[in-house]
Amino acid sequence: MAGPRPNDAAVEVHDLDPEEFLAQVHSFEFWFHSVEGYLAGTSHGHRLGAREAPMAAAERDRLVTVLCNYCVGETAALEGASGLIAIAPNRLAKIFLSTQVVDEGRHLEVLLHRLGELGVADPEAEVERRASPSLREFKRRLLGLVGSKDWEAALFAQNVILEAMEFSVFQTHARSADPVTAEVLSNIVKDERRHIGFGENELGRRLRESPHRRARLGEVKRDLDALVLETFEETLREIGLPASERPDLGRSYLAAVSRLGFP
Amino acid sequence: MSAEPAVDASAEGARPRRRFLLEESDFDEVPARYRRFYRHWKGAGDELAANEVLCPVCKVVIRSTRELRAGDRLYCMACMTRLRVRAGEAGRLEADCEY
Repeated sequence: MAGPRPNDAAVEVHDLDPEEFLAQVHSFEFWFHSVEGYLAGTSHGHRLGAREAPMAAAERDRLVTVLCNYCVGETAALEGASGLIAIAPNRLAKIFLSTQVVDEGRHLEVLLHRLGELGVADPEAEVERRASPSLREFKRRLLGLVGSKDWEAALFAQNVILEAMEFSVFQTHARSADPVTAEVLSNIVKDERRHIGFGENELGRRLRESPHRRARLGEVKRDLDALVLETFEETLREIGLPASERPDLGRSYLAAVSRLGFP
Repeated sequence: MSAEPAVDASAEGARPRRRFLLEESDFDEVPARYRRFYRHWKGAGDELAANEVLCPVCKVVIRSTRELRAGDRLYCMACMTRLRVRAGEAGRLEADCEY
């Protein structure tokens, strides 16, 4: 066989041919062996036997609101990713997005299950009742971009803006959450790494080949920036982090758009 | 991770690169055969070795069996990014995305 063999201890993974690297990381095979590493032995996103910590009623209520909003974000991502498959420009992107759909479906399922564990009798009704207006509006606009078959704009909204927001918020929340919620969120973050990377790299390649598309993405960014930052702030308030301890949650998103050449 | 005696003299006109034996890490986000090439970043106080660089996209530490130098190509399998190493401020190696 030509080329390096990655399962050979003497071989350097970074010597892989660039096309071979892209083919591998977009594949279902790669996804399967990746998620197996952190989901094997778990049930609904956390280890069997993970212990619930005592939680005051007010704290529990705030957590329920936050998880309800996470469910809105994950539903947007699930519907968005599944719609993107039809308009993805190549096979690798379609296959990767099919793995993302599975991830997003899992996220929604484990978050709804977590709401049940916290005593919410009808989690889906609770999500409807508590969902943030700005996040609902973001979802509406994202699905509008997907529906209009605007590949770059929809991918930017979903895999750069929404995923960067979730990546940052979930990481931050996991550090202060109760042990079970923290485990659920940490395992979701591991999936999000692939999603943000796919979005940035796919858009980076598209912009390199067709720089004129930058103006359109700039419009989308201007249109959605305020909604994203408002959603960040709402969630942080509910998590209960004091302002002085809040990291710059927009940093991951701003760094990604900066690497793509947006001010 | 341990450094071995220099055996790789591939760098032009420079001292030979050190080679590193990568031990298994606790990084579980890529298939098992690739895990030793990555580790979790522990934050600002986490000093990177000569064969390590931080992925700017997903903040995972990428490791190589070779001492890294500016111009080297790396792959972050955790976020599917191709990277190119460059000398950053204060001599620390950093990486830029190559789309």
